[in-house]
Amino acid sequence: MRIPCPYCGPRGNDEFIYLGDATVRRPDPQALGASDAFYEYVYLRDNPSGLHQELWYHGGGCRSWLVVTRNTRTHEISDVTFAAGGKL
Amino acid sequence: MNAPHRLAQGGLIDRARPLSFVFDGQAYAGCAGDTLASALMANGVKLVGRSFKYHRPRGILTAGSDEPNALVELRTGPRREPNTRVTTVELYDGLVAASQNRWPSLAFDIGAVNDWLSRFLVAGFYYKTFMCPAKFWEMLYEPLIRRAAGLGRAAGAGDPDHYEKAFAHCDVLVIGGGPAGLMAALAAGRAGARVILADEDFRLGGRLLAERYEIDGKPGTEWVAEIEAELASLPDVRIMPRTTVTSVFDHGQYGAVERVNDHLPVPPEHEPRQRGWKIVAKRAVLAAGALERSIAFGNNDRPGVMLAGAVRAYANRYAAAPGRRVAVFTNNDDGWRTAADAHAAGIEVAAVIDSRAEPPAQFAALGIEVLTGAQVSHVHGGQGVRGIDVVDARGRLTKIDCDVLAVSGGWNPAVHLTCHLGGKPVWSDNLAAFTPGATPPGMHVAGAANGALTLAECLHAGVAAGAMAAVECGFPIASFMMPSAEDEASGVTALWHVEESRAKAFVDFQNDVTVEDIALANREGFSSVEHLKRYTTLGMATDQGKAANVTGLAILADVSGRAIAEVGTTTYRPPYVPVSFGAMTGHHRSRDFRPVRLAPSHQWAEEQGAVFVEAGAWLRAQYYPRDGEKDWLETVNREVTATRASVGVCDVSTLGKIEIEGADAAIFLDRVYTNTFSSLPVGKSRYGLMLREDGFVMDDGTTSRLAPERFVMTTTTAQAGRVMQHLEFCHQVLWPELDVQMVSVSEQWAQFSIAGPRSRAVLRKLVDERYDLSDKAFPHLAAKEVAVGSVTARLFRLSFSGEMAYELAVPARYGDAAIRAIMAAGEEFSMIPYGTEALGTMRIEKGHVAGNEINGQLTARDLGLGRMMSSRKDYVGRVMAQRPALLEPDRPVLVGFRPADRKARLRAGAHFIPLGATVTAANDEGHMTSVAFSPMLGHWIGLGVLKRGPQRIGERVRAYDPVRNGDVEVEICSPVFFDPEGARLYG
Amino acid sequence: MVSFAGLERSTLDGLVRPGHYGRAGATGLLIEERRDLAFASVTAKRGKRFALVNAVNTAFGVALPDGPRRATRGSVTFAGTGPDQWIASADGSEAAGFANKVRARIGPFAAVSDQSDARLVLRLSGPRVCDVLAKGVPVDLHAQAFKPGDIACTVVSYINTQIDMLDDAPTYQLAAPRSMAGSFWSWLTASAAEFGYDVIAP
Repeated sequence: MRIPCPYCGPRGNDEFIYLGDATVRRPDPQALGASDAFYEYVYLRDNPSGLHQELWYHGGGCRSWLVVTRNTRTHEISDVTFAAGGKL
Repeated sequence: MNAPHRLAQGGLIDRARPLSFVFDGQAYAGCAGDTLASALMANGVKLVGRSFKYHRPRGILTAGSDEPNALVELRTGPRREPNTRVTTVELYDGLVAASQNRWPSLAFDIGAVNDWLSRFLVAGFYYKTFMCPAKFWEMLYEPLIRRAAGLGRAAGAGDPDHYEKAFAHCDVLVIGGGPAGLMAALAAGRAGARVILADEDFRLGGRLLAERYEIDGKPGTEWVAEIEAELASLPDVRIMPRTTVTSVFDHGQYGAVERVNDHLPVPPEHEPRQRGWKIVAKRAVLAAGALERSIAFGNNDRPGVMLAGAVRAYANRYAAAPGRRVAVFTNNDDGWRTAADAHAAGIEVAAVIDSRAEPPAQFAALGIEVLTGAQVSHVHGGQGVRGIDVVDARGRLTKIDCDVLAVSGGWNPAVHLTCHLGGKPVWSDNLAAFTPGATPPGMHVAGAANGALTLAECLHAGVAAGAMAAVECGFPIASFMMPSAEDEASGVTALWHVEESRAKAFVDFQNDVTVEDIALANREGFSSVEHLKRYTTLGMATDQGKAANVTGLAILADVSGRAIAEVGTTTYRPPYVPVSFGAMTGHHRSRDFRPVRLAPSHQWAEEQGAVFVEAGAWLRAQYYPRDGEKDWLETVNREVTATRASVGVCDVSTLGKIEIEGADAAIFLDRVYTNTFSSLPVGKSRYGLMLREDGFVMDDGTTSRLAPERFVMTTTTAQAGRVMQHLEFCHQVLWPELDVQMVSVSEQWAQFSIAGPRSRAVLRKLVDERYDLSDKAFPHLAAKEVAVGSVTARLFRLSFSGEMAYELAVPARYGDAAIRAIMAAGEEFSMIPYGTEALGTMRIEKGHVAGNEINGQLTARDLGLGRMMSSRKDYVGRVMAQRPALLEPDRPVLVGFRPADRKARLRAGAHFIPLGATVTAANDEGHMTSVAFSPMLGHWIGLGVLKRGPQRIGERVRAYDPVRNGDVEVEICSPVFFDPEGARLYG
Repeated sequence: MVSFAGLERSTLDGLVRPGHYGRAGATGLLIEERRDLAFASVTAKRGKRFALVNAVNTAFGVALPDGPRRATRGSVTFAGTGPDQWIASADGSEAAGFANKVRARIGPFAAVSDQSDARLVLRLSGPRVCDVLAKGVPVDLHAQAFKPGDIACTVVSYINTQIDMLDDAPTYQLAAPRSMAGSFWSWLTASAAEFGYDVIAP
């Protein structure tokens, strides 16, 4: 695969490290039921067929964490943004 | 040496450049422009190999990379390469090749007895016969089978040649340099696109080299030369001969292998043998042509039975006559060309056997005997064709004498690369072949690969695909004069196998799969193509069934009463042809397998005779042996004793070092460490523990506050990269709102640990005297920028050894000077350098955890570090570390161990079993994580995790180590073996 | 009192001597190690990006690039290595204490760390420089794709590397982690050998 890094341009996936689902949010540790919420956050993941927002770390380039929208059936990448938000 | 089957004229060989070569010990002569196959053929060598399973004699079937039969061991010694297709080996002077899978000789092969036993060696034979007892498989069956069946032998020694990897980028990658590919490259190139034209042959032209076609009234080869000259003149067109595009990957990435110097006996000095390319292309034009297929009939594998198009290639391109008297068996018009070309080359044509009722009119003038509506049912001859039996429509048998049978069962478009991303080819009744289905994004298919089987169609399709690809890359359409060429369709009528065959009729030549094997598999229920493939091994040989697959599944369709389209194909996967490990590995082998990191004191340590050990990518000094020391343990004991008695130095530059700045830096550290850093005063260091979000320990280290908003963190050597990535994740993904910046400075600083009671005295001689190093002014855990000579250094009072100790960091360019200066300053104190072994011994003596304990499976509580988990703040891993199972009182917790018999040796990895209990998993109470011989205590000591360990101090358990026959009674004790009060840190 | 004056070491010391290597009679590549460059990593503080742009402009006369490019004024260069991240470099008289100077001038707006010793820096030129680089650099260096002033942070031969295109001779500057200098050199010279290469005295 080649991932179009919004800073560096398209690069081979060997420059990146995959983490997984980018839509999960670290739960509020003070909230009631935090331990269940953390269990879900740490371990439970969907395995969607089709569009998937996922985290990739461009460790071989600009060191940005990216949110890549990838179709898991075709590998087509339709969007890449900085996980930290913002544009260049 | 005269080659008896070399035609007197014609061909694209250079008769003025004779080349000599050796096959199976016999010397022969060939010409420049020959392949090994054509040179063997010119010399009348028909028997080239033995088949995989039945050891049947085999000859050359094809003239290209689809060859299933003629595999040899090429070259000798460490350069010996097994399973090399003679059809792709470019002849060079001095070439040496040997046949394989035969004993004692090719002509007399004991293993051929398998052919007589073939009644028992049918599809699924291994599964059925060698089922049980299971033990026999390893001991008996597997070695037997491996000896009997097989291919060539690997060299058994390191390849002495160099290989490379390389990257290329282009707008349009054209795969294949035949008529369609040449046109595509020219159309795209003229439009201004950056073009790469890759062809697996050493000469451009594809089928044009093998046929007697004319284009624009010129001989095909002349036309090719003109196109090639124009392509070469275009600045952004790169022609890559001897380059096979083997693989298609996502997003326009292609794998290719360039055989840079395979056509020479030895690569010229400094040059690689092969280069593995990764090509990134916006668009690709697949113009890989088509592969002819055979027909299954009795003994259709005999040497001398060849594909009709291959016979033309040998006659036309290589001026090599495959035989004296050729018969042609065809189900299409294309086969007739072979008769015409053989006739033109002066080779006698015995007959044309056409399975169709109506032969094509245009060949009638040749005056050749023609049998229509007829089929070849049997081949006579063992190690070479002597004649054939022909059955006509009325069942009459005719025997025809010949020494070559040219077979054409039609052409299969080379759809392979269209399937690498999951595309499925579609069946065309019209062509009786599979054509590309959905192609990979960005790929156009042109010419025969797309089912366009006439020359004119190929030329036109090439232009269209090349122009389209260029337009899609943003280039204009270039004007084009379309070349004129022949446009006769070949009128194929499918014929897969001949019913009347008496002998074995082969489908997959390389894996010895017959028509009967396919029928048997179907009868036994393996009627899905994927099952058929695995049960019979059809298409699983090194040729990936290029010549076999379509025929095989057509026969499956036939015997299972389904349409071919319904049966479908198996999955074509990369690579298209076998790829050497060298081309995949490139430069990265042995010492260059992966980057090696060297510490700033490396050269100095080498001068001291240090023994090095790999720690992640680093090479670290493990110990520094001295003359007269009998083993490593004696050396390590000396290093520990000397350090604790006076002073020692160790290079700790390999630790990860991360500078963390910003208004929220302290808050950030509080969130990533279990303990608190916001309270750390400027000028102080603190030990920190980091968890993963799942609650297990990830790493540890010290972090020092250099300024109110500026910290420097150290990580373990092994986890430095992971921790950096984790911190970036925490910042960018979890808390982007924090004002924190972080950067690795691991490479910037050379850092040395100076430990022992005299460490301050040594530092006093190094650090500028304006800095007060007294215990009061610079106590344990102090951190400060200091001057060492004219260099700004960082000094930390940190101890891993339990001794009074410092870490001195200087800019890395001074690392070498610093170690020499430290040793010079320490000379009067008998200072010694110590390595990672002594470092490990001293930390075990102090009960400090390290990589063996921080193994990703233990929590802070397990490590006895529960007190470091702050209850006044949140941090990564806090919530999950509180899971009930992780708080179980029975969970193994870190304690120390010493042998009950103090002379006994301990082993890391030993499991703890209660005394008197049987050794079962149920009685396993934990394991030993680290051991060392403590020179301070005079016996072995260990750290380990044990159920309720801290409550069992003084008890004894067995440390059971069946792997090394260890079974030692050990005493449970505090993990701090030495100086438990920690008095030595101060002073 | 100790003095380290004159005792600076490059990781290539002892590994490399100036001269001609590889194919005889041809020089496809010229390799020059640069030991005189000072480097500092610069990371904008949160919300201070525009202030930083102004500060860099005022202090160094350099327009801070907003992408993977370098901008130079006099002997000072800023190269964009990531969002809100740059590597500043200097040679000549500016090099001495460079990181401290940068911190003194833009410290309120950016985190600054000295990286002067963190890297092996090589300048590469010669008629076959692109052919050599193609053996490890995955980035497209074609004249239309990578122009003077462009930089790329990428992975070369499994080593994180920054490539700057300095001019269209072309000359490239490659910076690799100091500890991996030996492995980097091994890849570079093996790749250059078929074209012949000259190592220029630093």
